[in-house]
Amino acid sequence: MDFMTLTVQAGVNGLVIGMMYMLMAVGFTLVFGIMRIVNFAHGEFYMIGSLVAFYTFAQWEVPFVLTLVLAAVCVGLIGMVVEWLVIRPLRSDELTGMIATLGISVVLQNAVLMFFGASPRAIPDVVEGSLHVGPVVFTWSRLLVIAAAAVIVGGFWLFMQKHKLGRAMRAVAQDQEAALIQGISVDRIFPLAFGISVALAAVAGALMAPVFAVSPFVGTTPMLKAFIVVILGGLGSIPGAILGGLLLGLIESYGATMLGSVVADILQLALVIGILLIRPSGLLGHREA
Amino acid sequence: MRSLALALSVPVIALGTAAHAETMTIGLVAPLSGGAAAWGSAMKGALELAIEDVQKDGGLKVGDTTYDLKIAAYDSHYKPNDAVTAMNRLIFEDDAAFVVGPLGSAPLAALVPMATENKKITLTAGFTPIAAAKEYPYSFRAILPTEVYAKPQIEWVVKNLDAKKVGGLFPNDETGQAMVNDLAKAYEAAGASFPAQEFYERGRVDFVPILTRVLAQGIDTFELDGSPPQTAGLLVKQLRELGFKGNIVRTGGDATPDILAVAGPEASEGLYVHQEYDPSLPSAVAYEERFEKAYGGTMNAFSPGFYTSIMMVFEAMRETGSVDDTDAVAAAMSKISDFEGPAGKARWIGNDYWGTQRQLFVPYSIGHVTDGEPKVVATCSPTRCE
Amino acid sequence: MRETSMVLDKSAPSDPARRSWTPLVLVIVACGAAAFVPSLLPNLFYVHIANLTLLSGIFALSLWIIYSVGQLSLGHAAFAGLGAYISALLALRLGVPPLLSLVISGLATATSAALLGAVILRLRGVYFVLVTFLFGQIFTLVALNWSDVTNGANGLISIPPMALFGLSFASRSSFFYFAFAMFILVLLLTWALNRSMFGRAFHSIQQNIDLAESCGIDTSRFQIVAFAIGSGIAGVGGAMMAHYIRYISPDTFTFQNSVAFITMIVVGGRSLYWGALVGALFLTPLPELLRDFAGMQHILYGAVMIVVLRFLPGGLISLASLVKPNRG
Repeated sequence: MDFMTLTVQAGVNGLVIGMMYMLMAVGFTLVFGIMRIVNFAHGEFYMIGSLVAFYTFAQWEVPFVLTLVLAAVCVGLIGMVVEWLVIRPLRSDELTGMIATLGISVVLQNAVLMFFGASPRAIPDVVEGSLHVGPVVFTWSRLLVIAAAAVIVGGFWLFMQKHKLGRAMRAVAQDQEAALIQGISVDRIFPLAFGISVALAAVAGALMAPVFAVSPFVGTTPMLKAFIVVILGGLGSIPGAILGGLLLGLIESYGATMLGSVVADILQLALVIGILLIRPSGLLGHREA
Repeated sequence: MRSLALALSVPVIALGTAAHAETMTIGLVAPLSGGAAAWGSAMKGALELAIEDVQKDGGLKVGDTTYDLKIAAYDSHYKPNDAVTAMNRLIFEDDAAFVVGPLGSAPLAALVPMATENKKITLTAGFTPIAAAKEYPYSFRAILPTEVYAKPQIEWVVKNLDAKKVGGLFPNDETGQAMVNDLAKAYEAAGASFPAQEFYERGRVDFVPILTRVLAQGIDTFELDGSPPQTAGLLVKQLRELGFKGNIVRTGGDATPDILAVAGPEASEGLYVHQEYDPSLPSAVAYEERFEKAYGGTMNAFSPGFYTSIMMVFEAMRETGSVDDTDAVAAAMSKISDFEGPAGKARWIGNDYWGTQRQLFVPYSIGHVTDGEPKVVATCSPTRCE
Repeated sequence: MRETSMVLDKSAPSDPARRSWTPLVLVIVACGAAAFVPSLLPNLFYVHIANLTLLSGIFALSLWIIYSVGQLSLGHAAFAGLGAYISALLALRLGVPPLLSLVISGLATATSAALLGAVILRLRGVYFVLVTFLFGQIFTLVALNWSDVTNGANGLISIPPMALFGLSFASRSSFFYFAFAMFILVLLLTWALNRSMFGRAFHSIQQNIDLAESCGIDTSRFQIVAFAIGSGIAGVGGAMMAHYIRYISPDTFTFQNSVAFITMIVVGGRSLYWGALVGALFLTPLPELLRDFAGMQHILYGAVMIVVLRFLPGGLISLASLVKPNRG
């Protein structure tokens, strides 16, 4: 394989994985921006999303689009209940909230382990075959991930910009007290933000399920990566999460292709620290007071 | 609480059975949660089925005492410290007669010295040479390590599949790090080269970039050994997606059901896989059916080996007439051969490798996946496959 | 104003100067009682759990020192691991006696924390926390890949046990006394630090970093000092663990452990240092108590955590103030 082919191939791979990171990180950063909570259970919602895909798409054979919607709705509702039950009472204290999400993560992962079992299950591809452009091979299932993720993030972006609720969320993220004065009810915004955030994670999980596989432990890595992406892009910044996700995916892919995986992983972390030292609040984050 | 219920039930049992009945606890230290839980469940299932079989005959008769068997199963989380804590509990609190586990080299290395100090037999699964080393005479290994199977199996692969240039991807952990050297040596000794070796961090899900890198070296055969089952499945899937046409072989670490499940029937067609035993044996088929009926899902191939070695401990206890004289039990156990288990005739080997007889051996086989099913194409002894 | 930090505590800790000398009396009583602990416990397994609890106590207390200046470390386990590796390697490769290697590893860990702290000086609040997270990840990767030194994922085996002037602390019971002595030492250090000038500066930083700065307190210097002390103690704790378990691998101290230490101070109650103790004392044996529930063990562990936080947001130590509402 020549250098050109390798470059293009690595680019597409980077985009696929970057899209997943982006979907994870956008939701993660949304909750942080609005509620000031680091949600350690974010990966478990990704896992539940892929589980929903396993039952609906692989078992009951519903159309994949419907699977995505079901994953988003189910997990979004679970998220709202979790917010109402566990996180709302701890709202005054972000650190306690953060540790509580850790408890949620432990409970969810092990509950799924109990009824789903430990062994991984596969989901058939949504679209089969691959696209050959010269010597480069793109599988349709991966191209689908790129397209679907782009559409979803686009939709989310429009919602945040144009819709009344989206604007209210941004207002709360910017200044909670001022938003209160404007008559925005935090009691309504918080569960909504949390629900949307974990629904995005669930969609990522459902979308990636056919590309990878489903098990109770698939959420751990995406969660850690989302964490790194959000550091890179700037905490609480949605454009930062989008940019950071894509960037991390590309860095990972090119790094692994050119230098090998282990070097790439260390390099990736060192790079993020470097960026933080130059721009302490991440690529697109706001300067913290 | 269960402990209270137990305390109440003990006197009842003592009154109800013959004078010589006692309870014997068998410990289990294995990952029961987290990414390695599939292996842990296989070990736990083996122990539960073995005990079920012994209890069916009224318990374990050693000398003129009959033992009621029960299990104390603890999660190691695949972490050395947790395994050590579990072992402390098994030795000092539960007074376990012997211990099944741990799985993995790190927990094994952390725990075996302590087991030796307290004279507890352990039935382990880990590739570190510690598992069968002279210093640890009570450590038995229930699964075959690379050192044993690499040579005969790879000779077969090179000869029959005409492998010349081999590539592989390995997890950057104790398994992967230990394995690469053994495999590369075996391939070179058999007359092939192993130019493309790459490592990946645990937890990685997308291998396409590194696979692209490996394929760029123009390999004709891909070695799957070393990766956990799910990862191996993903590798097969992603290799075929990238258009790799050569042979994919897995010369160790039986994970065929998981690979088939994850990669799908199309991508896994034509795969050559290592099988811990000959799965077409009627006894193996029966065991697998029984396991899957009891626990659902697919059975990890480690399970029959553990079942067999657990039964061998019981056999050695019966032979020596003692459950406490660990030295005698271990010595008797290492001499057992031609022991009929679900995976075929089992015996202990290891003298040629570590100077000990602490390695379980059952004839293993090489399978060729056709129509979504592995078909046995060769069976192996410690020296050769044919 | 934008809310700035997830780590600053809003519930003001009580003024350290007003606290009495009761802790010291309690410590003396505890010392007397501890002498009998190993012989009173039903078997060695309980001694083992007691040892682990003491080590957890050391980790939680050292993390609390960092927390008391309004910082949080998500790489605390990495410093513990660093100390463990340094001490183990010194003892294994150079034959340094374990006690000396313990001291060296503590100093080395503190120095590296100070260096890291100085480099990331400009990072405030949550970004500081994030860099400690990244540091932890890098530590694990290096321990895994620098196999010439760390023996990679296989870890270091046969680490010599702790010994002091020919007295060996190899057995569980004897290690208990050593761990207990070290634990009391760390406790007294935390207590003294808390009462000293340092402590007052620490608290003013924790309460309002901007105000403290405008009062002329060099906040970042104090933060680095606290970070170095806390991480150094974690290094010593890690080294103790290595000489106790006598085995160390990259899996011994991971991100999960860092999070577990934070959980201890939050569940215990973070407004006071002994909250960290209560947290360690409660959470370390908890999984063992829940083992009887087999498959439900982890679910119950998570649920207990959530319930404690949900109904006692100030942590377990707020139970005390429920009993005596107006103490002090």
